[in-house]
Amino acid sequence: MSRSYDRALTVFSPDGHLFQVEYALEAVRKGTCAVGVRGKDVVVLGVEKKSVLQLQDPRTVRKVAMLDDHICLAFAGLTADGRVLIDKARIECQSHRLTVEDPVTVEYITRHIAGIQQRYTQSGGVRPFGISTLIVGFDPHDTKPHLYMTEPSGIYSAWKANAIGRSSKTVREFLEKNHKDDLSREESIKLAVKSLLEVVQTGAKNIEISVMESYGKITNLDLSQIEAIVSEIEKEKEAEAERKRSRLAATAAGQASMTSRAAAGTQ
Amino acid sequence: METSFAITGKDYVIVASDTTAARSIVKMKEDEDKIKAVSPHLLMAYSGEPGDTIQFSEYIERNLRLFHIRNNYSLTPSAAASWIRRSLAQSLRSRKPYSVNLMLGGYDTTSDTPHLFWIDYLGTLAEVPFGAHGYGSYFALSLLDRYHNPEASLEEGLEILKRCIDEVAKRLVVTPGKYKVKVVDKDGSREIEL
Amino acid sequence: MSRRYDSRTTIFSPEGRLYQIEYAMEAISHAGTVLGVLAKDGVVLAAEKKVTGKLLDLSGAKEGGYGGSGEKIFLLNSNVIGGVAGLTADANSLINFARTAAQQHLLQYNEDIPVELLAQRLCDMKQGYTQYGGLRPFGVSLLYAGYDKQYQFQLYHSDPSGNYSGWKATCIGANNGTAQSLLKQEYKDDIEVKAAISLVLKTMSKTMDSTTLGSEKLEFAVITLDPETKLPKAKIYRPDEIDQLLQAEGLAKKEEDGAMKS
Repeated sequence: MSRSYDRALTVFSPDGHLFQVEYALEAVRKGTCAVGVRGKDVVVLGVEKKSVLQLQDPRTVRKVAMLDDHICLAFAGLTADGRVLIDKARIECQSHRLTVEDPVTVEYITRHIAGIQQRYTQSGGVRPFGISTLIVGFDPHDTKPHLYMTEPSGIYSAWKANAIGRSSKTVREFLEKNHKDDLSREESIKLAVKSLLEVVQTGAKNIEISVMESYGKITNLDLSQIEAIVSEIEKEKEAEAERKRSRLAATAAGQASMTSRAAAGTQ
Repeated sequence: METSFAITGKDYVIVASDTTAARSIVKMKEDEDKIKAVSPHLLMAYSGEPGDTIQFSEYIERNLRLFHIRNNYSLTPSAAASWIRRSLAQSLRSRKPYSVNLMLGGYDTTSDTPHLFWIDYLGTLAEVPFGAHGYGSYFALSLLDRYHNPEASLEEGLEILKRCIDEVAKRLVVTPGKYKVKVVDKDGSREIEL
Repeated sequence: MSRRYDSRTTIFSPEGRLYQIEYAMEAISHAGTVLGVLAKDGVVLAAEKKVTGKLLDLSGAKEGGYGGSGEKIFLLNSNVIGGVAGLTADANSLINFARTAAQQHLLQYNEDIPVELLAQRLCDMKQGYTQYGGLRPFGVSLLYAGYDKQYQFQLYHSDPSGNYSGWKATCIGANNGTAQSLLKQEYKDDIEVKAAISLVLKTMSKTMDSTTLGSEKLEFAVITLDPETKLPKAKIYRPDEIDQLLQAEGLAKKEEDGAMKS
C-alpha cells in the first residue's frame, strides 16, 4: 500500500506522512542520548558516549563539537551525517563573521542548520540527515544562555532543557519533573548528569559533560569530576531510599501500635 | 608613504608598520592598525590598495580560523604562507585582482621556530630573515644587511628596528609619522610600545 | 518484507536503518584481512591477499609495483599508507581519490596532508554516497597509517558509512573479531616498531585461513621516520623481503612445497 510513497521524499503519502523523515527520526532514536540543560547563566551539554574501546584513540571519539568560539553542538543519530552537517555549520559561522563582522547568534546558526536539514527532505534524490542536534551557546554581547534543538524534518525549537537520542522520552520526562528555572552552575550540571543516568547504566565513564558559562568560556569536565557528581547523586538516592524506608517503617510501626492499641481498647 | 618592516630574532618575529591612512597626497588618519593577528601565532602586516587590504586580510583571517575550528589546531606559518600566496596568485589571474603586499610573521609551535615570509601582490613568496615593503625598504634593507643578527634578543631586535625607523625618518621625502609594532613568539602575539 | 528498503541506498528503513551500508559492511567482513598496529616510532600494516592462482603473473609486484605491492596496500602520499578491505574496484577509485586529495593539499599548503585530514576527506566522500541520489555506498573499509607533525604517528580506520576513528591497533576484513581480541591481549602502550612487526605477523598467522604464511598471500608495509632527514619514510615490502622477514620471525613455511596449493 504505502510502497510508492516512501521512496521519493517529495511525495506525501495519502494520509499526509513523509515517511523518510519519520524513519530518519527512528535513526535518531537509535543514536546515543544527549541532554541539554539551561541554567540561570550557564548551559550544560551532556552526552552518553559509547565506551571507548581499549585500543581506540579517545581523541577521535567525541560527540560534542565546537561550531565557533561561543557555540557548541551535540548530536544523536548517524555519526557520519553529523560530521558533514557540523562542517557545513562551521563554514557558515566563519562566513557570517566575514560578511557582517559579527559572530553568529545561537538562533541564527540553529535556523541555518535546520534549514539545511529541511532542504534534504524536499530535494530530489537525497535522504534526510539521520540526526537531531542540540545547540547551546551565548549570543555576542549577551549573558543569557541558549539551548536549541533541531530535527531531521528541519524543525527547530528553543528549550529550557531537552534530550535527544536513545530513550530521550524517559529523559525528557525526568527533566520535565525536575527542571527549575534559574538553576545555578552546579545544579545544572547535576541535573544533566542525573537525567543521563536514567539511561546510562554504566555511570561516569560513559558520560561526557561540557559546560558553557559565558561567551567563549567552555569547559569539559574530566572523568574524576563526573565521577564525583555521580557518586554524590548515588549517595542522595540512597539517603532518599533510606528515608523512605524509615518513614515506611515508622508508619508501619505507627499502624501496628494503633491496631494494638485499638485491640487493647476493644478488650 | 606606506612602509612595513619585519625582523626575525632568536625565538620571535617583530612586525612593524606605519599607521598612516592616505588617499592620494592627503593623509586621512594617523592611527590605522595595518597589522592583523590572523591566527594565534601569526601576524600579517598589509599594505597596498586600502579597500583590498581589509577585504583580503579578513578573508584570510576567517579561513585560517575555519581551519582551526575544524581541526582543533592551526596551520603552521609556512603552510599558511603557501595558502595565502596561492590565494593572491589566483586573484591576480582573475578579473579584479587584489593589490596587496604582505609581511607574514609567525611562530611555528610544532618545531618551536620563528618564520617570516615576504609576499607581494604578484604572488611572490620568499622566506626571509628580515624584510620590508614600501619606500622605507630602500633604506631599511641595507641597514638590516649590516646589523641583523638571527640570534638577537627581543631588546636587540627592537634596537635594530629603531635604527631602521630613524633612517627612514631622516632620508625619505614623505616619511610616515608613527609606527605600530607587534611581536609574535611562543606565547602568541602582542603589541609593543617603542 | 524488508526487501522494499534495501534496493536503494538513500532510503531509511522504517526502523531508521540504512540497509545498503550494513550490507556493504557485511561484504567487507568476508574480504581479506588488513591489520594495523601503531607503535611509538612507526606504524605497521599487513594484509592478506585473496587473489592467488598458479598462473597469476606477479612479476609486476616483484619490483614493488607502482606505489604498492599489489591489491591491498598502497602508498597514498609520502607520509600515509593505506590498506583496503572490500571491493577491489571500489578501492581503486578511492585510492585514486585519496592520492589526488593529498596532492591538492600539497599544492595548497606546500605541506604533506595531515593523516586525519586525509581520512576526513575520504569519509566526506563516502558519506556523500550514502545520502545522495541513487548511488550505492563504497564497499570498502580502509586503514590509514601515517605521520604528521601535529599528532606524530597515527592509525585510522574508516568504513562505508563515512565514519572514522583513531586506533592503537585494529583489524578489518575476515576474522577481525579474533584478531582484535588477540591484539587487545598482546598490545602494550609503549610498543616499538620491531615488536609491532612481530605482533602483526604473529596475529596474521593466527587469523589467516591458510596454515603457513608466504609472500604470495601477504602484503606488508611499515612507516617510520628516516633517522637522518627526520621525515616519514614509507616502506612497502617486496615479496622477497616479506619472505625474508617471515624467515627471521620463524613463521615461514618449511620448504617451497607446492607454493600455490589452491
